[in-house]
Amino acid sequence: MSEIETTHTARAVFVRAGAGGWGPGLLLRAEGKRNKVLSVTGGGIHEVAARIAELTGAEPVDGFTTTVPDDEVVAAVINCGGTARIGVYPRKGIPTVDVYPGAPGGPLAKFITEELFVSAVGVEQVQPSTVEGSEEPAEQPAVPPRSERPSSREVAATVTGDGKFGQAFNSVTGVFVRFGSGVGSFVNTMLAAGRQTIELTLKTILPFMAYVSLLLGIVIYTGVAQWMGQVLSPIASNPIGLVAISLVVALPFLSPILGPGAAIAQVIGTLMGSQIAIGALPVQYALPTLFAINGQVGCDFVPVGLALGEAKPETVAVGTPAVLISRMITSPVAVLIAWAASFGL
Amino acid sequence: MQVLAVMAQQQPAQPEPETSGGVLGVFEWLGTHFIGLFNESGEQFVGLVTGILPTLIVLLTFMYALTTFIGEQRVTRAVQWSARWWITRYTIMPIIAVLMLTNPMCYSFGRFLPERHKPAFYDSAVSFVHPVTTFFPYANAGELFVWLGIANGITQLGESTVPLALRYFLVGIVVIFIRGIVTEKLTAFMIKRTGRTEVFADFDREFEAARAGGVKA
Repeated sequence: MSEIETTHTARAVFVRAGAGGWGPGLLLRAEGKRNKVLSVTGGGIHEVAARIAELTGAEPVDGFTTTVPDDEVVAAVINCGGTARIGVYPRKGIPTVDVYPGAPGGPLAKFITEELFVSAVGVEQVQPSTVEGSEEPAEQPAVPPRSERPSSREVAATVTGDGKFGQAFNSVTGVFVRFGSGVGSFVNTMLAAGRQTIELTLKTILPFMAYVSLLLGIVIYTGVAQWMGQVLSPIASNPIGLVAISLVVALPFLSPILGPGAAIAQVIGTLMGSQIAIGALPVQYALPTLFAINGQVGCDFVPVGLALGEAKPETVAVGTPAVLISRMITSPVAVLIAWAASFGL
Repeated sequence: MQVLAVMAQQQPAQPEPETSGGVLGVFEWLGTHFIGLFNESGEQFVGLVTGILPTLIVLLTFMYALTTFIGEQRVTRAVQWSARWWITRYTIMPIIAVLMLTNPMCYSFGRFLPERHKPAFYDSAVSFVHPVTTFFPYANAGELFVWLGIANGITQLGESTVPLALRYFLVGIVVIFIRGIVTEKLTAFMIKRTGRTEVFADFDREFEAARAGGVKA
C-alpha cells in the first residue's frame, strides 16, 4: 500500500478466526467519524485492539473507563466465552472481535452473525487487507424490529373495498379477518418462542449441562466430593464463614475477574449442591450460600451494562468504582439477611 | 464406538472388586475406573436432561411468547412511572426490566434514569438475574446453574425446592433494594470526591428538560 492510498481512504485490516475460533473473518476500516477501536477486555487496551488500531489508523479506547458513541466504533474487542458481552456489540451492529474462542450462544445468539463476529483472535490474526475496495461489513441486523413491520391486520384491512356493500361485507369479514389474523399471529408467536427456546437449549443450556455433568461425575466418582465436604462444611455451615466468602469474592480487584458468564458462581453452585446432596452442607445454609458465592455478580459487566443504559462517560467513571465498593458492604449484608431468612427451612 | 458401548453396559458405576494381578491387572483397573468415571458423569447428565430440561423447555416457550404478547412498549410506561421514586426504582423497576427484557438487555432501561442513578440501577438489576431464575428461568437462561446447582442437591435429598426458591426470590428483592440504595449513595460520594458535582448538575438539568419535553410531546 502506498502513502497516497492511505491518506485517500483509511487502511483496511482483515481479522480472521484463530484456532478453534468462529466466523469467516471481518474486514475493518476506519472512516470519518468512525475511528475508535473499543477494547472491552478489562485491564487496559488489549494487544489485539492495539494492533487493529495501529493498522487502521484508528484510536484504541479502553471501554472499561470510558464509553464511546456507537457510531464512532470501528470494532469492539472483547474477551468473552460467556453469554452476555458476546452478543451486546453484534446486537448494536458493531463488528466484534473476541479474543476467546467464543461462538454464537446465549440470549443474543441470533445477532452474532458471520458479518459481525469473529473469535479466537490473536495479534497474528490481524493482517493488513489485500482486498481492494471491498464493501464495509453490514452494520444493521437485516430484519427490522417487530414494531416497524406492518401488522397482519393492517395488511388485511386493505383487501376489501368500500361502498355500502363493501361496508357490510367489511363488518362481517372484518370479524373473520381479525379472528384469522389473531390466530395466525398467536400461532406464529408461539412457534417463534418455541424456536427461540430450542435454539437456546441446544446452544447454551445443553452444553452447560454436559460440562456440569462431567464435572459432577469426576467429583463424585473420585471421592473429591467427600474430601471437599470435609474442607468446606466447617466454612459454609456457619454465618461467619459465609460472610468471609462473600467478602473475598466481592474484593474490588477480584470481583471483575470472577464475574464473566457467572461461570465461577455456577460451578461453585453446582459443587455446593453436591455437598448438600451428600449431607455435608445442611439445607438451612443453602440460602446464605447462594448469596455468598455470588457477591461478584455483574462486576465484570459494569461499563457495558451502563453503556446499554446510555450512560455518559463520566457516569461510567464514577459508577464502576461505586458498584465495586458497594459490594464490599452489600454482599456480607445479603448473606446475613439470607441467613436470618432461612430459619424454619 | 461399539467397544465403548459394550464396556458401558458391562461395567456398573461401582468399581469391580475382582481383578487379576500383574500388568494386566493395572490396565484392567485403569479401564474400569476410566469408563466408570464417564458412566457416573453420564448418569448425572441423564438426571439433568430428564429431570429439569422438559419443564424448562415448555416454561421458556410460554414465557418468551408471553413477553412477546405483552410487548416492550406496554411496560415502558410502568418503568418510567417506577423510575421516579427511590423505593420503586430499586425494586419494581429492575424486576420489570429483568422479566421483560431479560439479561443482558434489561440494563437498557437505565436510559429512563438521570445519570446519577444509572450505576445504582445497574447494580440492582444485575443482582436480580440469578434470584429470578428460580421461577422465571427464561430471564437468564444462560446462567441457570447458580440456582439449579444448589437446587439439584436439594432435589437429590428428596426435598422440595419451592420453599428455598421462594425465599431466594424474596430475599433477592430485599438485597437488590439495599444494593441500589448503597450504590446510589456511593455514586454521589464518588461524584463529589472526583470534583464532578457541576458536570452531574448539568446532566440533571438536561434530564429534566428532556423529560419535560417528552411529557409535552
